[in-house]
Amino acid sequence: MTILACAALSIGIFIYIFYPQSKTEEQTQKTRLEFLQERKETIYENLRDLNFEYRAGKYPEEDYLAQRASMENEAAQILSEIEFLETSMHAA
Amino acid sequence: MAAFGSFAILLGLVLCAYTFVVGTIALRQIAVHPQASFGPERLAESARRAGIGSFIALSAAAFALIYCAFTNDFSVSYILHHSNRALPWPYKFAALWSGQEGSLLLWAWLLATYGFVLRVRHKVDVKLTAYASTILAAVQVFFTLLIVFPAPPFALTQGAVPADGFGLNPLLQYPEMVIHPPMLYLGYVGFSVPFAFALGALMMRYPGEKWIHITRRWTMVTWLFLTCGIFLGMHWAYAVLGWGGYWGWDPVENASLMPWLTGTAFLHSVMMQEKRGMMKSWNVWLIFTTFMLSILGTLLTRSGLVSSVHAFAASSIGTWFWVFLLIVLSVCLFTYILQRDHLQSEHKLESLVSRESSFLFNNLVLLAACFTILWGTLFPIISEYVEGSKVTVGPPFYNRVAVPIGVFLLLLTGIGPILAWRSTSFKSVQRNFLWPCIAGVVTALVLMAAGMRPWQDVGTLYSLMTFSLAALVMTAVGSEFWRGARVIQRHTGKNMLFSLVQLTRRNTRRYGGHLVHIGVVIVFIGFAGSAFNQSNEQEMGFHDSMTIGPYRLVCQSYTQDSNANYDSEYELLNVYKNGKFLTQMAPERRFYHASQQTETMVANHSTLERDLYVVYEGRNQDTNQPIIKVIINPLVAWIWIGVAVMAFGTLLALVPNMSAEQAARPRKQQAEEEVALTAGAGD
Repeated sequence: MTILACAALSIGIFIYIFYPQSKTEEQTQKTRLEFLQERKETIYENLRDLNFEYRAGKYPEEDYLAQRASMENEAAQILSEIEFLETSMHAA
Repeated sequence: MAAFGSFAILLGLVLCAYTFVVGTIALRQIAVHPQASFGPERLAESARRAGIGSFIALSAAAFALIYCAFTNDFSVSYILHHSNRALPWPYKFAALWSGQEGSLLLWAWLLATYGFVLRVRHKVDVKLTAYASTILAAVQVFFTLLIVFPAPPFALTQGAVPADGFGLNPLLQYPEMVIHPPMLYLGYVGFSVPFAFALGALMMRYPGEKWIHITRRWTMVTWLFLTCGIFLGMHWAYAVLGWGGYWGWDPVENASLMPWLTGTAFLHSVMMQEKRGMMKSWNVWLIFTTFMLSILGTLLTRSGLVSSVHAFAASSIGTWFWVFLLIVLSVCLFTYILQRDHLQSEHKLESLVSRESSFLFNNLVLLAACFTILWGTLFPIISEYVEGSKVTVGPPFYNRVAVPIGVFLLLLTGIGPILAWRSTSFKSVQRNFLWPCIAGVVTALVLMAAGMRPWQDVGTLYSLMTFSLAALVMTAVGSEFWRGARVIQRHTGKNMLFSLVQLTRRNTRRYGGHLVHIGVVIVFIGFAGSAFNQSNEQEMGFHDSMTIGPYRLVCQSYTQDSNANYDSEYELLNVYKNGKFLTQMAPERRFYHASQQTETMVANHSTLERDLYVVYEGRNQDTNQPIIKVIINPLVAWIWIGVAVMAFGTLLALVPNMSAEQAARPRKQQAEEEVALTAGAGD
């Protein structure tokens, strides 16, 4: 009985591991463009946070404007690099 | 069943080894020949499936051990030493983790379970998961090797098999012991997953911070398990050990607290990496350290290096852990040195008065606490090595350092959330700190007017500071909810309760985090009560009475009882409060037949104001009368309430934001809702 149980366990797992797959998931490296898209989303999220906290009365206007300008500059740099990469891709 | 269990463990080891070796080969081939990758990817897929197979094999082994416990199979040495026929069934289940071999099997199985979830969810990022799976398999190989060689749970009993087992340690025969160790292990083991992801991301030079998004839920769930495990352990110590406290700075308690502290630091500082691309090296080392502290804690528990109520007997297993720890440290160091240029910060700290700097302080304070505890825990080993004699560091050392650190952390809990990212102007500080500071000062004044004298002793001083800071933090966190909800209310016209719910649902992580902070404050309020403990101990025969605080206890009877598992002695006490009958209590002392050990069963009458904690200490040998110890522990119930709030907050933070759910809804409906809530809620 024990031998039977051990054999069933082994065979079951063996079949599961080596059963031929028609399609396997591809391991792709994340591109610079994808990275920049993620950064853009993060900055937008930070901006939404800032706007909301300003509306909630947490920050004086001058603090809010300074921070917002700094974040927008950061976003602008990322957007320009995204645009450049996308243009290069289309050109290629 | 023992043979099947042993076979399943061996099969598990082979499968983990396959996942590790073949996974490494596949990753290497894909890295070297990224274009010709169909072969290596099939190899990687088989490694992933073998990892899943290891979960099935180790599940079978864990099932086999539980089956042996339930069928009283004393031919298995482990069952003989940790169970007996009269043992109630929940404790037979707990036999799985009541000894060295079984708990290592539980560890290996939990690790395989986490690995199973990780490998099933591989589509979230196939390549990163392949790296994490391979690293996790290496950890699995180590733990499975332990249960194959130095600590096999299915080793057979030598000689004739006794008719009954030696029983479970009486200290473990308590309901919480059925859930406390698995919770703690889920916490310890769980940190392997963020560790594997962090190391994998570093090895493959993963661009961006998405690996943090992927591991965030893992880390939070793990942290929740560890938190619950630690507090369940505290409650067990309080209810079972009978010394009236919940935390004794025992080396094993410390071992669980250290990874919790670094894990908490990681949960905070990782936000700086997500939001601003800062502190990358710091975060990587925090999670490496957390994982290594989990292993170090296990090493301390199992090697017999330190004496503890929880520790297992001295064994050769310590050498295995030292070697493993050394390998982990070497791999982490090597990978870090090789890839450290990948961890450059994208921004610098702009101001000392900012959310970033509050996180940094929070991290430094948590690490200082961790280092203090590590030093105190290792001091007996170090002193023995240097001076030849073991010098143990007691609770006064820890309290002297940890209490002020805790109070400072409480202050940071209030300050952090109301500071702005990047920098905070003086005007902003004034605006946000005015009411919390007023609340703190008013609380301190009211308490002093009510009779607290902080200049009389340091315990009262810390207690007053805790209550005062608790008011400050509660006001600060409360204002976060209030202000946010008012924005929602202005835009929707709905009532405050609806707005609060909407606000929380739109950013569950932030407001769940605030709830966790509220829970922490409540826990600290519970801790602060310990400055006002009272105790009394006396012989209490028939109709004898004892007065302590507002209570009077009168002995009604004392007697003995017996069942198949244990003999017991107990005393029935009528309790009166301010002259009125309150309740009846029955502190008890048990003698367990199988293990021939004695155990105290505390009687506790718990209210929000205080616990009346009664211990049956034994009998006076001369008079044969019971000795009763009574302790009044103020505010202890708040500790358990605070933990429940912390758990609720963490669970809330795990729920996806409402905006993410909305993304899956039809666009028209989404647009209508956006019109209604144009402001957003900081999500």
